[in-house]
Amino acid sequence: MAVSPELVFAITAFTGAAALTSLCVLLALLGTINPYHRPAVPLLGAFTVIALATYATAAAHDVEFGLDALRLTMAEGVLAIIMILPLAFMILTVMLLRASFRKRPEDPLLALLESESGSA
Amino acid sequence: MSPWALQVWLGLALSIVGIAMHRTGPAFKRHRFGAPVALLGLAVMLVHTQELPEPEAGLVQAMVDSMFWVVPAVFGAALVMLGAPLYWKSRPWALLAGWPLIAVAWYEVYAVAAGTSPSDFPLSLAALPGAALALLVFALCVRTAERMVPPEPVTEPLTERERRYVESVLSRHLRGDGGEP
Repeated sequence: MAVSPELVFAITAFTGAAALTSLCVLLALLGTINPYHRPAVPLLGAFTVIALATYATAAAHDVEFGLDALRLTMAEGVLAIIMILPLAFMILTVMLLRASFRKRPEDPLLALLESESGSA
Repeated sequence: MSPWALQVWLGLALSIVGIAMHRTGPAFKRHRFGAPVALLGLAVMLVHTQELPEPEAGLVQAMVDSMFWVVPAVFGAALVMLGAPLYWKSRPWALLAGWPLIAVAWYEVYAVAAGTSPSDFPLSLAALPGAALALLVFALCVRTAERMVPPEPVTEPLTERERRYVESVLSRHLRGDGGEP
């Protein structure tokens, strides 16, 4: 069955973003390792997502499942994320606009702290 | 895999580790090595003396092209956040410097978008459910890992000295005076 190039593009964007996000999870666990971490199960989950996404990309592009397919998956993931970055920038711009015109609200925690200090 | 391709992936990994390191700790005191490691990773990824193989060549080219708007966007957003009365003491000069940079970034976004196929963007939106799925799997894995740990006894309340210390940290940083007592 012939698959349209548009569908292959969309599948690759989906699998690439899933694999890239799982890679970020793996590396974030590595970069923030501490004695209270229990990383075994999350690492296993991230590896599973990467493997499944690579397999799907390899099947969609008709390439062999392996290191080349993994490189293709990750590269397509980065490209898809770059493509939709302007959407994130649009949301950020709206948030910055709101932040530029709003005053800092009085923090209820500060009032609580002051009342606690007064009663102590 | 060629060493130059490996260099790109090593740089990407370093950048992600650096960003993750930077996110640790409280907002007023980030990890001191986070930003340098992330910038080192970016440099390792983008600076090459040899031609890259595919798909890394296309990846690096797309990143370099996006830098034309990402760099002013990042600096502009940082300046606006520094100057916004919502987050800190109001600094009008930072707002006045930040918004033109954001405008420049939007101009560059339109310039880049004009050179791409209009059908590519809606298809690229498939990346959103892909990323959401990966995060959902991660959340489920974290929940599973937490459930495997036996519950701990109820923590002892803070001592008077600890309570005063927590109060002083909160009041210094919530007032937005940069931590000055």
